[in-house]
Amino acid sequence: MRITTASSYATTIDNLQLRQQGLSDAQARLSSGKRVLRASDDPAAAARAERALAAESRSDASKRSVDVSKVLIGQTESALSDANELLSQAREALVASGNASYSDAERAIQANKLQGLRDQLFQVANRSDGAGSYLFGGQGSNQPPFVDTPGGVSFRGIPGQTLTDADTSLPLSSDGQAAWLSSRTGNGVFVTRAAGNNVTNQPVRGVWIDSGSVNDPSQLFPVADTGYRIRFTSATDYTVESFPLATPNVVTAEGTGTFSSGRAIDLHGTSVNISGAPAAGDQFEITPSTPTLSVFAVLDQAVANLKQTGLTGSQRAQGTSDALRNVDASLGTLSAARSAAGDVLNRIDGVTDRLSAEKLDAQTQRSNAEDLDMVQALSDFQIKQNGYDAALKSYSAIQKLSLFQYVNP
Amino acid sequence: MGTGALSSLGTRALGAAFAQLQTTGNNIANVNTRGYSRQEVELSASNGQFTGSGFFGRGVDVTTVTRAHDDFLTQQAALARSQASADSTRSDQLTQLEKIFGVGEAGLGHTATQFFNAFTDVSSKPQDQTARQVVLSRANDLASRFNAAARQIDTLQAGVTQQIRVSVSSVNSLTEQIAALNQRIVDARGLGQPPNDLLDKRDTAINDLSQYVQVSTVPAEDGSLSVFLGGGQSLVVGAKTTKLAAMTDPYDATRAVIGVIGQNGTRQLPDSLLTSGSIYGLLRFQNSDLTDARNQLGQLALGIGQQVNEQQSLGLDLLGQPGAAIFRFGDVSGAPLVAGRSLANNTGSGSISLTLRSPSALTAAQVSSVHASDYEVLADGAGGFQLYRLNGGVPDPAFAPRAVANGDIVDGFQINISGTAATGDRFLLQPAGSAARDLRLDMTNPKLLAAASPLSVTTGSSNKGTGSVLKLAVDSVTAGSHPNLPATLRFQVTATPGQYTYTWTDASGTSTPATWQPGQPIDYPGSTASNGFQLTITGVPVAADPSASPAVVGDSFTVGRNTYPMSDNRNANGLLALRDAALVGAVWSGGSLEPGASVTDAYANVIANVGVRVQSAKAASDLSTSVFDQASKDLASKSGVNLDEEAARLIQYQQSYQAAAKMLQVAQSIFDSLLQLSR
Repeated sequence: MRITTASSYATTIDNLQLRQQGLSDAQARLSSGKRVLRASDDPAAAARAERALAAESRSDASKRSVDVSKVLIGQTESALSDANELLSQAREALVASGNASYSDAERAIQANKLQGLRDQLFQVANRSDGAGSYLFGGQGSNQPPFVDTPGGVSFRGIPGQTLTDADTSLPLSSDGQAAWLSSRTGNGVFVTRAAGNNVTNQPVRGVWIDSGSVNDPSQLFPVADTGYRIRFTSATDYTVESFPLATPNVVTAEGTGTFSSGRAIDLHGTSVNISGAPAAGDQFEITPSTPTLSVFAVLDQAVANLKQTGLTGSQRAQGTSDALRNVDASLGTLSAARSAAGDVLNRIDGVTDRLSAEKLDAQTQRSNAEDLDMVQALSDFQIKQNGYDAALKSYSAIQKLSLFQYVNP
Repeated sequence: MGTGALSSLGTRALGAAFAQLQTTGNNIANVNTRGYSRQEVELSASNGQFTGSGFFGRGVDVTTVTRAHDDFLTQQAALARSQASADSTRSDQLTQLEKIFGVGEAGLGHTATQFFNAFTDVSSKPQDQTARQVVLSRANDLASRFNAAARQIDTLQAGVTQQIRVSVSSVNSLTEQIAALNQRIVDARGLGQPPNDLLDKRDTAINDLSQYVQVSTVPAEDGSLSVFLGGGQSLVVGAKTTKLAAMTDPYDATRAVIGVIGQNGTRQLPDSLLTSGSIYGLLRFQNSDLTDARNQLGQLALGIGQQVNEQQSLGLDLLGQPGAAIFRFGDVSGAPLVAGRSLANNTGSGSISLTLRSPSALTAAQVSSVHASDYEVLADGAGGFQLYRLNGGVPDPAFAPRAVANGDIVDGFQINISGTAATGDRFLLQPAGSAARDLRLDMTNPKLLAAASPLSVTTGSSNKGTGSVLKLAVDSVTAGSHPNLPATLRFQVTATPGQYTYTWTDASGTSTPATWQPGQPIDYPGSTASNGFQLTITGVPVAADPSASPAVVGDSFTVGRNTYPMSDNRNANGLLALRDAALVGAVWSGGSLEPGASVTDAYANVIANVGVRVQSAKAASDLSTSVFDQASKDLASKSGVNLDEEAARLIQYQQSYQAAAKMLQVAQSIFDSLLQLSR
């Protein structure tokens, strides 16, 4: 093939340009550290890097919501710890007030102390997170969620929890209704109470009932929504009757028994102790426990009880027994809520770890997709440099060769 | 025979050698002239003079000057240039287009991700105005990014149109040149010798013309060359030219099409007549790549805008009102209305517009996201319309043409036809084409972000099972005002072990038990599309079993109106969940809904798609450029000048010249000898 001068020069120049461009591209990749600068460098890798970047920023976003949840639940946990502390103090005050030798005035002092503790608890329950929402606001609440009403403290909100998005599903609030107002009444299974004397229509005065215990769980309340009533027909005899909770006056006789103070009465799997000297007509009721016990109602009732004067020893004993039972139930609920908060904090640590791992994964994936293998890139650059060098040298060597050089005289 | 013959021989040899030297000099002088063909002097021995002792040569004749030329190689080089120019033009344009679809933190995809992620902070603190403001700022960012990308595409389109205009005027000037050269070549042929330099110039002009459009040439008897566009349209016949024109697209004044100026005015050339050349590359980029890019971008903008607005409309804002739209398309809020483009020469008064429907406004059989395609509607003049989906400017064979009437819904848009269209009237519909350009932020008050759900579920306080609410899906924000709420969901055991039934109890009574399919949404009965909702329970709730001893009370879930929407974040979580929703390009086809892609995936697909186009265009361009280089080299090896060769010839001809001069000297000395004899 004939070589023509102009086209051979043009080819050489084209080749030099190509080599220079390759060198410049290699240098751009080296200095940016990226293998994929544009989608066309490697479309599949660019798409992969794009997805990895989205995953990475998503982990960052989730991390932010986890941090918010962590602060809130941390605050909730400390609020519940305060509540436990306050309620324990209330319990001590109640135990002290049970002292039979106390005078009404001394009991009033304890009552005032309880009153103070109750107010502090109320503040804890309405504690805000410092940013406009309430720790125990549930799924949404009025501000603040707990409100004193004539019927006692009520929860103005929607029970439940708000959660972060589905990626993390961590709570952003606590269910105030469940923690503060929904302890189980009685001993958790059934409630015992003195139900007055149906002969004198006065409260029960000479005898009191304990909170009872469960003997045989399988026999408990065979018919749903039914309560039992122990009614004394004399100082030694009683009858047992059952009644639907909705209509307490429709009774079904269940049996009779002979009373001996302090001896347990077994009844459909429950066992209760009645102590003191009963009068004919004294009634005690055993009803299924419900999750409706309010911390505040417990303390309100205890305060009212302590402030009441002219009660018999049995009535005091009944009051103290009921109050302690209820405070214990509330303490249990608050402790459970606190440990649940602790669990969430644990879970948050787990989620945080997971998010960090996910972010690292995404970063690794992105880096794998688009970052440069430096060693390879450097050697590539070296090769290109050598190539360009050789091209320049050969060009300068070739261009000297011309017949005109030789035919000159 | 006398010395006269000898000196005549020497003179002719001298003349021939001089002619050769001159031609060689010309070759050397034109070594770098583009299109120059090496010239050579053709010599022939003169007819001998007859004498009794045989024929004596009378020296040499210069017959003609020829150029080193090969028609086939010349055509090949022009053809290869045409292809290379088409490919490299498209590749250059695609490289520009690729810059619009940036990758990484600077890309549009990342802006979209950040917009969705901003809802995280609203979800964490629904009452926080700052977090809400951030969402609006991000939304504004996103809209501006879409606008900017759309504007860049428009700029590219304007550049393409401009380039086509310039190219067309270059084509016209070249065809003028060729026609003029044809005339001069025909004239020169009368002289009996080939006008080498004119022929070279014409070949060069045709080669240059091939850069813009692919042409074929047909030689005529008189030496002129007729030039035709690849598909047969004549450009030059003899000394006459047919001019091309860059016309505006009858649908869209920003786009260019190629026309030809005839006696009866300018008519549009079918694109199929152009098969390569830079104009073809530009048209292909304009009709296929740019249109696809615009539609894909628009589809993405529509997917995000419509779904965000729809999810927003399902929630309650900080003021307790149903969520307003975050985005709008164009100047007015509401379902985007896109005017169809009428063909400029439509004779009827008909016009067509589109209303883009969000999926919730469509019945199940119509649900579809908008396609990233253009559509064309053809009127039959009798009130009937035929709809075609276009792909790269021509009907897409995957879409069966269908008759449409006013109000029909196709691929997520509703067709509104008004006026009377005449037979053959055409309309171009671009459902997604303008979405990216028109995307706007439609909300300024951050309080109006609907973070709360209109309903809330409370789990029964004495629930014992592991059942919990996985999802409460609301059909419409008015579900919160359903008159029968609150409604309580309860489960009962059935005779079949492991199977539960559920009932809803609300103000209207208790519903008939229905079988619970774990994991499936439970519909609230008696509701309509405007006030219904579905509850999905995960885990295992305890079902009521009245016959057990002791009796088992079932778990309950109560759905009621959300009375405290201020601190609720469930709709914010719903908005956040759009990150994963397959909201771009879900297509109703063949009786089932093919899910689309999430925003991230859709954008990744778009950049991969553009990347692949750029890659393959570059590869095609590299290949055709090397073919062109090779063809040019082949031609050059035939007709180019090699200086070494010319140097050698120079010496050769110099020596012949010297020899001829010597001959004259000898002739003279012989003559002198004769003269001396006579002295």
